Amino acid sequence: MDLNQKRTRTVDRVDSVDPDLVSPESTPMCPFPDEVLEPVLSLINSHKDRSSVSLVCKDWYNAERWSRRHVFIGNCYSVSPEIVVGRFPKIRSVTLKGKPRFSDFNLVPEDWGADVYPWLSVLAKAYPFLEELRLKRMAVSDESLEFLAMNFPEFKALSLLSCDGFSTDGLKAIATHCRNLAELDIQENGIDDLGGDWLSCFPETLTTLQVLNFASLNSEVSFSDLEKLVTRCKSLRVLKVNRTINLDQLQKLLLRAPQLTELGTGTFTQDLVTRPVADLEATFGSCKNLLTISGLWDTNSLYLPVIYPACASLTFLNLSCAALRSFELAMLLIHCKSLRRLWVLDTVGDMGLEAVGSWCPLLEELRVFPADPFEQENVAGVTESGFVAVSRGCPKLHYVLYFCHQMTNAAVATVVQNCPGFTHFRLCIMNLGQPDYVTNEPMDEAFGAVVRTCPNLQRLAVSGLLTDLTFEYIGKYAKNLEILSVAFAGSSDLGLKYVLGGCPRLRKLEIRDCPFGNAALLSGLTKYESMRSLWMSACNLTMNGCRVLAKEMPRLNVEVMKDEDSEDSQAHKVYIYRTVAGPRRDAPPFVLTL
Amino acid sequence: MDVTLGLLDHIPAGDDGGGGGGGGGVPSGGSTTNRSILTVSKEDNKNTMVMSSEVTSGESLDGLELGLGLSIGGGGGGGGGGLKSKMVANGGGGGWSQYARILTAKDFHTSLVSKPNSCSSSSSVNIPNSSTSGTKRIATDSVSPPNGTSVVGWPPVSKAHRMPTLANQIKSPTENFVSKPEQNKSKNRTLGIKDYSDERNGFSNKKYRSVKVNMDGTLIGRKVDLNAHTSYEMLAQTLHEMFFSRWSSTEAVKPSRLLDGTSEFVLTYEDKDGDCMLVGDVPWEMFLSSVKRLRIMKNSDSNELAPRFQETNDSV
Repeated sequence: MDLNQKRTRTVDRVDSVDPDLVSPESTPMCPFPDEVLEPVLSLINSHKDRSSVSLVCKDWYNAERWSRRHVFIGNCYSVSPEIVVGRFPKIRSVTLKGKPRFSDFNLVPEDWGADVYPWLSVLAKAYPFLEELRLKRMAVSDESLEFLAMNFPEFKALSLLSCDGFSTDGLKAIATHCRNLAELDIQENGIDDLGGDWLSCFPETLTTLQVLNFASLNSEVSFSDLEKLVTRCKSLRVLKVNRTINLDQLQKLLLRAPQLTELGTGTFTQDLVTRPVADLEATFGSCKNLLTISGLWDTNSLYLPVIYPACASLTFLNLSCAALRSFELAMLLIHCKSLRRLWVLDTVGDMGLEAVGSWCPLLEELRVFPADPFEQENVAGVTESGFVAVSRGCPKLHYVLYFCHQMTNAAVATVVQNCPGFTHFRLCIMNLGQPDYVTNEPMDEAFGAVVRTCPNLQRLAVSGLLTDLTFEYIGKYAKNLEILSVAFAGSSDLGLKYVLGGCPRLRKLEIRDCPFGNAALLSGLTKYESMRSLWMSACNLTMNGCRVLAKEMPRLNVEVMKDEDSEDSQAHKVYIYRTVAGPRRDAPPFVLTL
Repeated sequence: MDVTLGLLDHIPAGDDGGGGGGGGGVPSGGSTTNRSILTVSKEDNKNTMVMSSEVTSGESLDGLELGLGLSIGGGGGGGGGGLKSKMVANGGGGGWSQYARILTAKDFHTSLVSKPNSCSSSSSVNIPNSSTSGTKRIATDSVSPPNGTSVVGWPPVSKAHRMPTLANQIKSPTENFVSKPEQNKSKNRTLGIKDYSDERNGFSNKKYRSVKVNMDGTLIGRKVDLNAHTSYEMLAQTLHEMFFSRWSSTEAVKPSRLLDGTSEFVLTYEDKDGDCMLVGDVPWEMFLSSVKRLRIMKNSDSNELAPRFQETNDSV
């Protein structure tokens, strides 16, 4: 094993250290020799804990870096691949995140960066036995996928979330060459779908697949190849098909894979009934292990009930593709007693949410998405009363994402009183600058109530008409806040100053269209190195302000995205992040690193 | 709030397709989207543009026609009927039966017209697509967007976590069985996937088809969803919005003039053989099947191209 090697290494290192500088913990008298330390440390999986471990002493730093198998890089530009492979010699799994989150909303131009290829070429040399790669918001080309498929013989798991730049040709390469593939999880939107024949590239010998998610692809795949694949992969536990798979085909797949724990259906309705619904229902009944169901496109009251037999053990139900009415949701939820997480469209209305409160006492997470977010007239959707109804029936609720058109301070205060355990509170009042529609006051008190009442709050997104008072509350009370999203809020620099002056745990701050200027930016000078990143767009920052920041804080990358429309002196989009890798070398012409 | 927008048929491959920044070099990616309701306009208020249009395809109109008069319970024949009774049983006391009724044209009219064109409403500059909105969106052509809706990236609904739905079709706030249009849509699609003629097959099945557009003199190209357009005029309008909106006050570049060769710029495309052709010569469908990318050239460069025929307004 490696232990002998490492022991020699440790001894060498200790000998070369000046005894005067050696602290007691790093002498050979260390009570935890490597053989003990490493197996113990290898049980620690949280990367935050591992960070802490590595700071204890040199022995622990070394033991930790040798025992680490998975590295998580939250910002691909905060470190270079060379530094990573230099520190961690035995990595088997890499998670990389790239673009700022606001790129999901088209605020980051194309070709901004976060190309995975430079990482892959370094990883191929250092970790030839890499098994897992999980990418989020990275630019991934077909060449990168081919490179990945050809250079990592032990590769097992690929997860692409919100990535772009590749096509189904890249998936063909993965399917063809990764002989031990266990996981292929494609959840993103920037893919060029050239056809479904990538699925047929899985060789007949591949039996190791455990996770297959191609729900976000559009093209039809060969159903017979899919059926054969599902049949021979006996360990398949997650199968999420795309919309082209119809009910009949789904039934066949389910009969082949009753061991599934997560199912994403295809189109969940049909016009030509080739098989009575009772059959489908029985099939669902035979899937005893289902914990998650998603997909359910186009479903309705005729077909949705076929899943009832499988609902009793469901913990996560993702209905965000099924525009259900309130009563349809209610009928369904009666069967879902164990539900912990629920995603719905706002077509269910307040009445649907009342049903949630009535039937799902164990609910921990609720996400209500807008079926028609850009609609202004004739908006239905959900209101504050649905929100309150859920909070009354679901005291364990700690994660909420709620899109609505109207809200009141009183309702939010009631919600957090009912559910003080919130860790993630993301409220999006879709009408910009909307006050409390009953009192016409700003929504400051709502978020004040949230931060005062919920001591475990980690993530907050605010909306509605907000003054600096909201931020005063946040800075003062949100001691555990790590992620804050702000849009169209605040009255002056004070708002941002409050937040930067408080919130000791803040890691990610993303701001758009707020009246915060240079003074506010510079008030957080000392804070930014403790944060992962700061995004500010369409605020009142100028190039000079950003230059001052860049000068004072050399270990930050202060990037300004140039916008030909705005004045030269304005800094329209600013992205600031800590880094040990120096300024980006792959910045496109419109990104200026100050 | 990284919620994915429910889009009509699928996920637009080109969320990055908004391009670095059109003619004006506006770097923010106003994205093109598929042919559904989503419209993301440019961030800068004075330069707001609508990037793509909403559904006008024959598919949806077919769905409209077929849907009239069909009943929910009758949809599945025996199976449907059987299920209906089951629904009633499960519904616990007839609470269901009131919803399982025959849809009439009245329901359609209400449910569809009451569903405004969110695409139009989110544009603050102009609504180029409203004239081609199709029958479903007539109610909203006159809707002027409230202040602040024409903002790129708002509401913060990302495509990443949600999958496309037809949810946008359902607008009635009442408890009617308005999911019927969806059913018809899926019916058409289920049949249509196999039945589409070859001509449309390549790109109708792909619900979204983007091509790159580059303009001479502009560094950063854009992407346009061709399936979101049904005519050259529409396309020209969109391109005009993308590249020339700042110049809209000048006569030099009007949308129609992009097509007829009288402006300073001329619209060309590269076809699948790699040849550079003038846009507008062939029927729209043929154009769709052969276009690979678009290019807005300065008129002086286009002399070597084939002479064109007179363009009329009804060319498509």
